[in-house]
Order: sequence, then structure tokens, then C-alpha cells
Amino acid sequence: MQDSASKNTISGETFELPPQQTRLEEFWSQLRKNRLAFTGLVIFKFFFLVAVVGMILTTGTSPMLDPSLVRLQEKLRPPLSGPNLESLLPEEVPPLRVYLLGTDELGRDVFARMLQGAWVSLTVGFVAVGLAVIIGVLLGGLSGYYGQNSIRVGQVILVLLAMWVALGWSRMSGVYLVILAAMAMVVLASMVLMRGERTYGVFSFLDARLISVDALITSLIDIMLCFPSFFLILTVVALLPASIYNIMVIIGLTSWMGAARFVRAEFLSLREQDFVTAARALGVSDWRIIFRHMVPNAIAPVLVSATIGIAGAILTEAGLSFLGFGVPPPHATWGNILSDGKNYLFDAPWLTVIPGVAILVVVLSFNLFGEGLRDILNPKLRERH
Amino acid sequence: MASDPLLIVNNLKVYFDTEQGVSKAVDGVSYTVRPGETVCLVGESGCGKTVSALSILGLLPQPPAQIAGGEVLFKGRNLLKLAEEDLQSVRGREISMVFQEPMTSLNPVFTIGHQIEEVITNHEGVSHKEAEIRILKLLQDVGIPSPKERIHDYPHNLSGGQRQRVMIAMALACSPDLVIADEPTTALDVTIQAQILNLFRELQEKKGMAILQITHDLSVVAGMADRIYVMYAGIVVEEGSVWQIFRDPSHPYTMGLLESLPGRREKGQELATIPGAVPDPTMKPSGCPFHPRCTYVQESCRDQFPQMCNFGDDHLARCPVIHPERGAQSA
Repeated sequence: MQDSASKNTISGETFELPPQQTRLEEFWSQLRKNRLAFTGLVIFKFFFLVAVVGMILTTGTSPMLDPSLVRLQEKLRPPLSGPNLESLLPEEVPPLRVYLLGTDELGRDVFARMLQGAWVSLTVGFVAVGLAVIIGVLLGGLSGYYGQNSIRVGQVILVLLAMWVALGWSRMSGVYLVILAAMAMVVLASMVLMRGERTYGVFSFLDARLISVDALITSLIDIMLCFPSFFLILTVVALLPASIYNIMVIIGLTSWMGAARFVRAEFLSLREQDFVTAARALGVSDWRIIFRHMVPNAIAPVLVSATIGIAGAILTEAGLSFLGFGVPPPHATWGNILSDGKNYLFDAPWLTVIPGVAILVVVLSFNLFGEGLRDILNPKLRERH
Repeated sequence: MASDPLLIVNNLKVYFDTEQGVSKAVDGVSYTVRPGETVCLVGESGCGKTVSALSILGLLPQPPAQIAGGEVLFKGRNLLKLAEEDLQSVRGREISMVFQEPMTSLNPVFTIGHQIEEVITNHEGVSHKEAEIRILKLLQDVGIPSPKERIHDYPHNLSGGQRQRVMIAMALACSPDLVIADEPTTALDVTIQAQILNLFRELQEKKGMAILQITHDLSVVAGMADRIYVMYAGIVVEEGSVWQIFRDPSHPYTMGLLESLPGRREKGQELATIPGAVPDPTMKPSGCPFHPRCTYVQESCRDQFPQMCNFGDDHLARCPVIHPERGAQSA
């Protein structure tokens, strides 16, 4: 069966197909060959497993490991020290009969707190950076690829109208309908304009060019970079209900500029490459060219900056938590264990070293994986390993 | 030659807005390609041959380019007026293009099989397996040895000539009616050049597509073309069959080009050149654009734009001076 399936004929000639390998399978075999990247992935998977297990172990009404249990008589015990059984109530004794990672200034088990914080810290890092990379690639790609195109008056009116309709839908009234009807003509004219045909006469003002896409996006990037982003985050967090998901989104929304700049710069040079023109000449659509042809060529610097961004996001969350805007105090995150611990840097160095090393290892594993991903995406780099 | 033309470029004008003024890169060019025919556009760098070919497929960024006039009729449809989506279905399926630089015309991050497959699946909804069989057939057609292994190669695994073969395979993937080849052999060694040109001829015999070849290499023209259009400064100065152009050049520019071929002179003699340089496309000379360099220049050349003169049998030249007795009737 194998034999007959792999033999195929076309116009009388017989071809034997090479072994079928989907792109995903090829990706996997490449990843396995790249030992560093594979190690990175394994470590990274391990941490996610720890985060999930930790979430199960530390939540509920009577968790196995209670991260918020205060034992003032047992404060600042070094890692691997056993509990003083005489001074503790039976339910206060840690289940393993040892403080694996020591205790903090309130006698809370650091191991339990690290487990509880793992999920929040990992998701903050990845959701925020993932969001930043997505926004950055989209905006950078737009400004790099469509940069020369101008935004026209008609298009602005169209977008404003759409927003107005979306906002004012609930309070529909007679007057509103009349204005809407009047505007419909403008909309129609703008739609004609969007198809790339010229408009004449009364509507020719719709054709007027306002600003180029590139100028718009690069100035947006510059404006965003001008803000001290930590204070921007503080302001926004003060306005929004405090929730860890809001924080992730806000960190993501304020850190996409680096990725956007990288992608824009790469796209500006890639756009002029012959293979892009060749792809266009062979009828490949713009979206396919951007996402299938150009992004894999442009992604390397973005991945590198993203790996660093993850550490940055975990620490930003820690800073926010420290100021009382992030995760509310009894809940632990790696960031707030780290920032709480810095007051006891000399008396209890494990309070800073343990979360610090954990963040380092996560970042490192992602960095290794990112580097491997870059090599896989760019076949020219593969031979180096 | 009696069949309906496949492609008619009629009085095409492509201008570029530059800081120095409007650059008239293509200024009223007309040519015709019939099914199964090889047409060559010849001219030196900057004469507008590539721009005119790119504008057929709507590949010029607008702005800075603007189509100032004319029409491009392909099977009766004006390609300049088509919407982008319709144009996308023409590109690759009905008209495809082979580029000058094989080293950069393939995407470095995908296997060549993947890139050819993209063209096929983009235009025809065929399964992965079916596409793969066709790719193997194509690679065999364009003379890639052991296509089964090569299909999973990346562009950097291949030599320049092989890459150009892959580009040709991509261009032929959907059996187009017209292949535009923009100096396909310029970046290659002379021996590889000959192979690629032979390949074009073979494939044309087999598949019957028309080829619009853009080149500055007269030896390529002599070997390939059914019909030649000589371009200078954005206009066609002479058109005719290979025989007519090489045996009976009727425009001073064509004569100059042929004179400057190395083979035409005795050994040790200095090569003939055309004096002067190509005019700046933003400031073209009045009258005949070639008159500042022309050895046959007359007073009327300086202010009268020459008409196409018909020398019979579709041999036309834009010069009333050289053969005034023959070129009496203007086309």
C-alpha cells in the first residue's frame, strides 16, 4: 500500500514522492537537532508545569502548602532548615517538615510563595510580551510595507463615522437618522475611493492626502517612547480596576515600540528585495507576502528583544505590586518576593536570590528557545550547529 | 503571425515624480506580443524597458510612478484598469515574470519546493500531494538534477544557474500564456547563459507560451527573438524581425549598437562607440531624443519629433533621415 501510494504518474511519467513531512514535523526535527533550543524548551515546559502544579497546591480553603500562613516565631529561616516543632501548632508545620527555600520576614514558607507566584509571573511575562510582539509586528509591518501610502481625508471620515455609529447606536433618534443619511453619501464616496479609483467634483476633497502611514506610525512610536512608561502604566492602572489581567495588557500596550521599530526597519529593506517583487509578480497577495515571506525574515531581532522583554515585564509587575497597584499583597508573585526580600539582602539573601534565579532561568530558557527558533526560521543559520 | 495578439501595449506612458522634475521613463511605447512568439525589448540601461514590463503587471509602486497614459491590452482586457484582486489572479497564472537577479529573487527562508507550491496552490486549489507531483515534473522540465532531493533544498544550497532554473519553474508553474523575462541571463556566466536561453527555447516549444524578453545583450536577441523592439530614452526607435534589424538597421541608434558589437571589427581595432551619454529622463532633448548623439543629424531633427516610418513587412523605424526614399509613408 505504501508503495502504490507513493508512486504517482503525470503525463505518462512516474514519479516517486519523497517522504511526506509536514512543516510542523520538519520544525520538530529541526528543534530536536538544536540541543540548546531544545533544552530551553524543556526547562520552559518544566516551569509551566511547576506553575500549574503550584496553582493547584496553593489555592483552595485548606491548601497543601499555604503561602499566606504567618509564623512569626519562624521568620527568616534559611533554606532546608527544619521547623521548630515545639513552637508551632500542628497545622502550621509545613507538610514536607522542612522549609525547602527558607522563610521570609513573616515566617511564610518561601517555597509555597514561589509556587503560588509562578503562574502570575510567567503569564505576566508571556502575555505582556506576546501582546507587545503582536502589536509591534503589526504596526511595524504596516509602516514598513505600506509606509509610502497616504491616509486620505475620506478614509479618516469613514473610520470616524464607523466609531460614531458604534458609539451612538443605542440612542438612535430621528435627527440622528437624517444626519446618518447625509453622511451615507460621503461614506459611499469614500468606499469608491478605497477601491483606488479617483473621485471628482464635490467629493474630490476626500482624495486629499493627510499624512503618510509611515509618518503616522513612527510618530506614534516616538510619542509612546517619550512617556516614561512606568508612570504611564501607573496612571492607567490607577484608572482601571486592579486586576492582574489589566496589568498584563497594559504592560503589553506600553512596550511594543521596540518590536515595531525592529520590524519596520527590517521591512524597509526587505520590501526592496527581489523576492518580494517576484512573489508579487507571481500573484501572491499582500497579506501572504507580509506574513509568510517577510515576517520570518524579519523576526530574529524581535525574538531577541522579546526574551529580554519577558524579564522586564516580570519586574515591572513586581514594581507595580510593590507600589500597591499590582497583585494585592497576600498573593505572592516572584516580583514581590524579590522586592520584599531586598530589605533583608544581607540577613536573608535567599529571599532575593531564589526569585532572582527563577526569573533568570525562565528568561534564559526562553532566550535559548528564541535563538533556536531564529535558527529554524532562517535556514542559513542552521549549519552553524 | 496571423493569430490575434496576446498582448498589446499601446502608447504606454509611465512617469516618475522626482525632486528634479517629472522623469519620463516610458514615454509612449507600443508593442505587440502574439501567442507563442518571442519578443525582445532591447536598449541600454535606463531606457525604460524594465519599467514598461513592470507596469504591465502593475508592479510599480504608485506613487512615485504614475501611469500617464496608454493601455495594456491582454486578451482584450486593459490591465492598467483592473482592480488589484483581479490583477493578482492574472499574475502568475496568465502572465508571469522571471527576474534578473536569481541570487535574491528567491525567499531565503523557504525551501524551493515550498515556494513553487505556493504559486500553484495560490492559483489552483490543488492538494499538497498533487502540487508536489507537479513541482517534481516542473523541476525536471527546467533541468534540475534529482528533483526529489532538491525539492527540500533552500535557495542558498543552489548555484546561481540552478536558482534561475527554479525561478523559471515558478514562472511556468501555472502554464502562463506569457512569460516576461527581465534580463534573465545578465547575472549568469556565459556558459550558463547559453543553457538558460536553450531552456527557454525548449520550454517554449513544449508549452507554447509567448516570451517577452528584456535585454541589453544583442547576442541574446539574435538567438531568441522573433521580433525586436529597440528602445531609446523611453521610446521605441525601431522595430522589426531579427533579420530586418540585424541586416538592415534603419535607425542610427540601432546602427550604433550593432557597430559596437566586438565581433564586427578586426582584431586589435578599437571598438566603435556611440558618442555622448543617455539623456537625463527629466530633461530630454527636443525633437528626436537621439539627435545630440546622432551622426546623421539634420536641422529638422532638433525640433521635430520623428514619426514611425514604415519600411514594409512590419519593419518600422523612428527616423525619416536615413532612408528618406523608402520611409515616405509614415505609420
